[in-house]
Amino acid sequence: MSLALSEILDVTIRSLYVSGLATLLSASWSIPAAYLLSFRRRVGVLEAVVESLVGVPTVLLGLLLYMLLSSSGPLGFLKLLYTPHAIIIGQSILITPLIISTCYRALRVVAAPYLELALSMGASRSQAMMLILRESAPGIAASAVMGFSRAVGELGIAMMVGGNIRGSTMVLTTAIALGVTRGEFEAAIILGIILLALTIATAVSMKASMGVRAL
Amino acid sequence: MIIIKLRGVWHHYPDASSWALKDVSVELGSGGITLVAGHNGSGKTTLLKIAALIYRPTRGEVTVNGRDFWILEEAEKIMVRRRITYIHEKPVLMRGRVLENIMYPLRIRGLGREDAAMKAKMVMRELGLVDLADKSARELSAGQSQLVAIARALVAEPELILLDEPFAHLDSWKSGLVAQALQARMRNGVGIVIASHSRGELPEGLEPDRIIVLEDGRIRETRC
Repeated sequence: MSLALSEILDVTIRSLYVSGLATLLSASWSIPAAYLLSFRRRVGVLEAVVESLVGVPTVLLGLLLYMLLSSSGPLGFLKLLYTPHAIIIGQSILITPLIISTCYRALRVVAAPYLELALSMGASRSQAMMLILRESAPGIAASAVMGFSRAVGELGIAMMVGGNIRGSTMVLTTAIALGVTRGEFEAAIILGIILLALTIATAVSMKASMGVRAL
Repeated sequence: MIIIKLRGVWHHYPDASSWALKDVSVELGSGGITLVAGHNGSGKTTLLKIAALIYRPTRGEVTVNGRDFWILEEAEKIMVRRRITYIHEKPVLMRGRVLENIMYPLRIRGLGREDAAMKAKMVMRELGLVDLADKSARELSAGQSQLVAIARALVAEPELILLDEPFAHLDSWKSGLVAQALQARMRNGVGIVIASHSRGELPEGLEPDRIIVLEDGRIRETRC
């Protein structure tokens, strides 16, 4: 494989782009879902279902998406298979249960007392919602970081619906897998270190920014 | 002038096995001090939260100046709630500085940052909180947190203030400051409702005009 520096950079940027967008996309529906759940009293079964889906195998999701997006599948006309968009969709679905579950836990603690506070101060519904989201912001941010880490580190979906096409859909995990298959361990290790550094840097920078805002 | 009337109010928490309030009828409003006394679990907090229009009772009617509150339009509910304030037994403070916490009710009413800060500082001076303005609310002691919660409630200039065991975390000096602040509001016609275990827990100068004794969710007696 022997990746050039420019290609390593390209794969890294694509990984950031794909998984970052997947995280944003998933957060756009997972955070509101978690917010609504946090006001429901009986969510036992729903919570258990969502939590069990956190560990769904990525290859299974990849397979399902492949069948949906392949030319003979029901969504084949969209021509998304083997494009970065397919990976983004797949990863956003993959991390949805994780973001809902972790966000819900952060919101559940804050929702009741801060809703009461907001009501007692005469806040409108939107002002109450803003207060609750503000108070649970560190937890919500942490859930997004966890979602991003899961997305950027997954292999099954990226491989099955992305196809690992050089210069188009190759991301860090698929590049590592290809490197190992070809016996190019040095390149695989470099990419692995970059992947690890990315996830750590995201978590640290998010924590640092939340810490500054909390002051 | 605001009058909150609870008529035949029953309240049941979803996960509880018994009623928290049973057939409670009471009138609370502007002017004077009402003490709601009772042991832990007697229903004091539930009564205050229903009167503060935070909880909707399971059964019964809550009227504000004769109008059923829970059938009002959302915008009207907000306007009514802005005339009342409730202070939690365990203070609920927001992330951020003390000053921002106290400014919150003014900010949600649309007051500008500078005007809100000025008004907040006036109340902070009254309660001896000026030195804490820039401190993080999460770094406060229990007593300081309670004072900040009280200051935040007072700054909104409500017509009715409901305080749930407000003196539990306060020493006698801080209790005295709160008592003075409440007396000053009372002289302007503001109604004060305090939930406490007994009359003996109130600081000097806060003499209740009426005592409502709750027991096992029911009003056992009302004394004037």
